[in-house]
Amino acid sequence: MSSNLERVVPILQIADFLLVPIQIDLDDRTVGRLQQQLMREIERTRAKAVILDVRMVEVIDSYISYTLSETAAMARLMGCRTILCGIQPPVALTLAQMGVVLEELTVARDLEHALVLASSL
Amino acid sequence: MGLDKIDTILESPAHEFDVVVRIAREEDIAVARQMAKQLAQETGFSLADVTKIATAVSELARNIYRYANQGRIMIRKKLEEKDGPCIEVIAADRGPGIPDVDLVLTRGYTTYERSLGIGLSGVKRLMDSFAIYSEVGKGTVVITEKRRRKF
Repeated sequence: MSSNLERVVPILQIADFLLVPIQIDLDDRTVGRLQQQLMREIERTRAKAVILDVRMVEVIDSYISYTLSETAAMARLMGCRTILCGIQPPVALTLAQMGVVLEELTVARDLEHALVLASSL
Repeated sequence: MGLDKIDTILESPAHEFDVVVRIAREEDIAVARQMAKQLAQETGFSLADVTKIATAVSELARNIYRYANQGRIMIRKKLEEKDGPCIEVIAADRGPGIPDVDLVLTRGYTTYERSLGIGLSGVKRLMDSFAIYSEVGKGTVVITEKRRRKF
């Protein structure tokens, strides 16, 4: 399989949205590959929303934040909204202290809230 | 100012630190972050502070990789400090150096296209102390500490 068609994370299709549980350490290369995989899946499935569940992610730094926002901006240009859920309290504290604004992303309280938001789009 | 400091730090022996990670490849950023997290956990930091330290190390390691190509992240526990135990993180490189240190500490300033420009200012906010020494053509050293908070 060519490297730009790699599956980095499992992507579950539910109705007309995609659920993406991120359960791996997001290093720079991984987050870039994740972006590519999402774009391919959005194009293939014509999903109207992507839910990124980051409950298992222990560190989100400025570059990961940048790439997630960029991914959401790209998805929006393809007619798809991106919903982020599951940010852990220490990660939320760190991002808030650094002053990171996750532009383009809709943030949900938890997966259930994310599913409600995705369904109401 | 602080030029001797750059040489002293760049030449400091590895055995003086608990963790030394050479940053030369992109993957080394995640390695440095992981090692920092482990050391902070061992030292008894709260999960919130472990996350802040790991994130700060991630930012510093990425700056080395992006702007200097290679360098070192050096971390040590300092248990005998009068203000209580702390962790010291040093990022050192012999890269191009920074012409205007105040400018790079400005939020939103970046010379890299895919960046929020909050790396260094973010590190300063996440840690308790922050010092940067840089000279064009010589290199850059960032010295930062986080104290363990009492509960």
